[in-house]
Amino acid sequence: MKLITTILQILLIHLFFFIGVGIKSYVPIPIPASMIGLLVLLLALFLKLVKIEWIEKGGNWLLAELLLFFIPSAVGIVDYEEILGMKGMEMILLIGISTFIVLGTTAFIADSIQKHKGSATK
Amino acid sequence: MNLIIFTILTFLIYRFTKKANKKWNFPLLHPLLISPMLIIILIKSLNISTDTYAHASKLLTFMLGPATVAFAIPIYKHFHLVKKYIANIIVSVTAGTLVAIFSSFALAMVLGLNADYIISVLPRSITTPIAIEVSKEIGGLPTLTTIFVIITGIIGGIIGPYEIKWLSIKSPIARGLALGMSAHGVGTSKAMEYGEQEATFSTLAMIFAAWITLAWASLLIPALMNIFHLH
Repeated sequence: MKLITTILQILLIHLFFFIGVGIKSYVPIPIPASMIGLLVLLLALFLKLVKIEWIEKGGNWLLAELLLFFIPSAVGIVDYEEILGMKGMEMILLIGISTFIVLGTTAFIADSIQKHKGSATK
Repeated sequence: MNLIIFTILTFLIYRFTKKANKKWNFPLLHPLLISPMLIIILIKSLNISTDTYAHASKLLTFMLGPATVAFAIPIYKHFHLVKKYIANIIVSVTAGTLVAIFSSFALAMVLGLNADYIISVLPRSITTPIAIEVSKEIGGLPTLTTIFVIITGIIGGIIGPYEIKWLSIKSPIARGLALGMSAHGVGTSKAMEYGEQEATFSTLAMIFAAWITLAWASLLIPALMNIFHLH
């Protein structure tokens, strides 16, 4: 029963994805169909057209298993042989330095704003 | 037939690597690193072309779309936090996206990478489904972008806790935003180890980073590419 509920909920979320695809095919906006679907679903939740209980189980499954959906794309790496050599090391270095800076900057700014407000979250 | 076999196979390998990762909790055992490796070894030894595999596993890739839609759930459930901390979220995540794009760009230029690599690395700090869209939009190669997003997540997940400790970042909002901004979903799963607040802010940072980067993809990045003649 729980499995059927989850599957039905995932199908309902698919419906919003297809609404996003539909809107995108009529309105040429540079926003991915999935993002349009997200906004439409959010709107439907706020307007009480959709209850959170109708999608929560399915949605949480999709989010918890997000990594699974990336795997086929990651397998595509074998078509870029150069990345397994020197080029790959360079990319790891680049991404490592950049990620370090991004993490530090974001943490520092968010922390400063929080301290400035003087009201830390519990 | 292939569709069913490869979907189930990928799922099983994924479950196995996820369990192994949970058991040993060693960053390099990340499912996104080990699963593709095992699949590559398997299809290579069975003489199956990567095209066949890509075609047969397209159902899984397709699910990225609906999975992105599902991010409406955490936003809706934590909307009071979004409202309360909107200024902080927007300022720090906007700064994060700018630093991500400009530092990746500058380092790529220093390393003398070719245009495909430079363009494909720019959206690396956001969640894969949106990074792929941004990559297409700006003329990058989605597969390369996916790989860079994965490397970003793994590195962020490894260095994140050390850097947070080293910078003595104490507030849950700053920890969460930093992890979600710098390491998207992998950062968010790290944030869960700190607590629910950190995980929530990490999720919000991840979604806002995707939205803001989408805006940069049509405003800032084309200008950057024009200046440096990358097309």
